Amino acid sequence: MKNTAYALANIMAMLGGLVLVAIILMTVISVIGRALIPIGLGPITGDFELTELGIAFAIFCFLPLCQLVAGHATVDVFTSGMGARANLVLLALWEVVLTATMIFIAWRLFAGFSGKLGNNETTMLLRVPVWWGYGAALVPAGVGVLVGLWSAYDRVMAALTGKVSRTIEGASH
Amino acid sequence: MSNVEIGLMAFPVLLAIIFLRAPIGLAMLVVGVAGMWIVTGSPNIILSKFKSETFSTFASYSLSIVPIFLLMGHLAGLGGMSQALFKAAEAWLGHRRGGTAMAAVGACAGFGSICGSSVATAATMAQVALPELRRAGYSGGLSTAALAAGGTLGILIPPSVVLVIYATLTETNIAKLFLAAFVPGILAALGYMLVIALYVRIHPHSAGSLPRMPYRERFAALRAVWPVTVIFIAVVGGIYTGIFNPTEGASVGALGTGLVAWAAGGLDWPRLRAALIATASGTAMIFLIVLGAGFFNAFLALTQMPQTVSAWIVAQGFGPWFILACILAIYLVLGCVMDSLSMILLTIPIFFPVMLALDFGLPTEHMAIWFGILVLIVVEVGMITPPVGMNLFVINAIDRTTPMRETYSAVMYFVATDLTRVVILAAFPAITLFLIP
Repeated sequence: MKNTAYALANIMAMLGGLVLVAIILMTVISVIGRALIPIGLGPITGDFELTELGIAFAIFCFLPLCQLVAGHATVDVFTSGMGARANLVLLALWEVVLTATMIFIAWRLFAGFSGKLGNNETTMLLRVPVWWGYGAALVPAGVGVLVGLWSAYDRVMAALTGKVSRTIEGASH
Repeated sequence: MSNVEIGLMAFPVLLAIIFLRAPIGLAMLVVGVAGMWIVTGSPNIILSKFKSETFSTFASYSLSIVPIFLLMGHLAGLGGMSQALFKAAEAWLGHRRGGTAMAAVGACAGFGSICGSSVATAATMAQVALPELRRAGYSGGLSTAALAAGGTLGILIPPSVVLVIYATLTETNIAKLFLAAFVPGILAALGYMLVIALYVRIHPHSAGSLPRMPYRERFAALRAVWPVTVIFIAVVGGIYTGIFNPTEGASVGALGTGLVAWAAGGLDWPRLRAALIATASGTAMIFLIVLGAGFFNAFLALTQMPQTVSAWIVAQGFGPWFILACILAIYLVLGCVMDSLSMILLTIPIFFPVMLALDFGLPTEHMAIWFGILVLIVVEVGMITPPVGMNLFVINAIDRTTPMRETYSAVMYFVATDLTRVVILAAFPAITLFLIP
C-alpha cells in the first residue's frame, strides 16, 4: 500500500514535471518564432492557452506528492512543546481534513467537467473544448484522492498506535 | 453578529488553526469556505464556485512563472555556476579579514540573480561555501549566519517568486517591481559584507584570511561567471525591455540554465528527476496557499471587512508614516513564525487598500512598487529570525557541527542591518524608485 501510494504520487509528479518542461520548450520556441517573423516564421498560435491548460494539469499532478511528503507549509513552533503523541494526533487530524478537501475538490471538478461537457465552450484561439482541460485534470485529482486516503489512514494509525511509518520531510516555517 | 464582525473574527480563528500545525493553505481554504457559508447562509455559492475556481486558479498564465522559476533555481545548482560565483568572489575578497564570508554573501547575490527562492539559494551556496569557510578558519556561527542571511538575497534580487505573487495581488507591473528590487538587493549584499567586517573586528578569532590573489587570476575567475551574467541579463533585461513577458523570460532562463548545467555535465536523468520532484513539491505547496488565500479573501470581500477596516484606520487620523511603521512591524512579528508567501497572501488584501488611502506624496504606481519592496524585505527578515527562520534550519541541516545557539547569536548582527536598511528605504523612497520611469 505504502509503496503503491508513493509510486502513484511520484509518477504523477514526474508527468507534471515533463508537462512543465514541455511548456518551457514551447514558450521558448514561440519566442524564437516571434523574433523570426521577418524571415517568415511566427509565434505558436495559442501558446497562452496551451500554457494555461498545461500548467493547471501539472499542478494537479504535483499535489499528491506534496501531501505524501508533508511538503505543505505549516507553523510548528507552537506545537513543538506539546509532546510527540499530541503532535501525531494533530498531524492525523489535518491529514484527514486535507484529504476531505481533496475529495471535495475532485468532486466539484467533476461537476465542472460535466457542466463544460454539455456546453460548447472552447478556448479563444485554438478552439480547444474547455472540458478537455477539466477531464485531463480529473486523472491527477483522482490519484490525489487515492493517495490522500492512504496518507490519512497512515497518519490516523500512527496517532492511534504511536508508531510512525514515515518521517516528516517538512517545509515547516 | 454583523458581516464585518464575522470577517474580523475569522483572523484569530485562522491563526489558531495555523498555530495548531494545520497546513497554512488548507487553513485559509477551510476558514474561507466556512465563513462564506455563515455569511451567505447556504453552501450553494461554495459548491458552484468550486466547480471552476480550482481549475481556473491553477490555469493562470501570470502564475505559471512560479513553477518555471522554481525549476530554474533547482537547475542553477547543477552547472557549476554556484562554484564559479564563489571562486570569483573569493578571488577578489578572500585576502581581506572576513573576506571568505564576504565572498559567500557576494556569491549568494550572484546566485540570487538567477534563482527566485531564498531557501534554494541558501542551500545551494551552503553546499559550496560552508566547507571552504570552515577550512579557512571561520567560526561556525559566522559561517552559518552569513549564508543564511546571504540566502535571503535569492528573493531580494530579481527574479523573485514573492514579488510575482505581490504583483498579481496588487496588479503592479512585475517588470518594474523587478527593476525596483535591484538597488535594495545590492544594498543588502553590501550591508551584509559591512556586518562581516565589523563582526570579525569584534570577534577576532571568528575569521581567517587567505593569501592575496594576483589580478590575472582574479579576472580569470571572474570570466568563469559569464553564464550567470548572460542568463540574468537575458531574463531580467528581456522582461524589462518588453522583448518578452515574464513567463517567456522565465522559460528562456530555465532552458538556458538547464543547457549550461547539461553542457557542464551536471544534468543527467537522475538529477533532472530530482529537480523536477523538488519543483513539484514546492509548486504544490505554493498553489495550495494561493488557492486557500483566494477563497479566504473572497470571503473577506463578501463581509466588506477590508474596506471597513481600512476606512476606520484612515479615519483615526494617524500619520501615514506611523501606519506604515505599524504594518512593517506586524510583518516582522508574523515573520518570526510564518513563511513569506502565506503572510503576503493573507495580509496584502487588507494592508494594500490602507496604503492606497494614505498620502506619501508618491503616485499610486510608485507607492505600490515602493511598498512591495519594503514588504519583501521585512518578510525576508523572517527567514533569518529565531525561532523559526527557514534559512537557519536549512543551513543548520547542512552544517551539523555548529550548535543552533551560535547561529542565532551571529545572525542577529545581520538582522540589525536588515532593519537599518528598511528604515533607510522607507525614509527615502527615491533609492528604490529612481530607476523607475
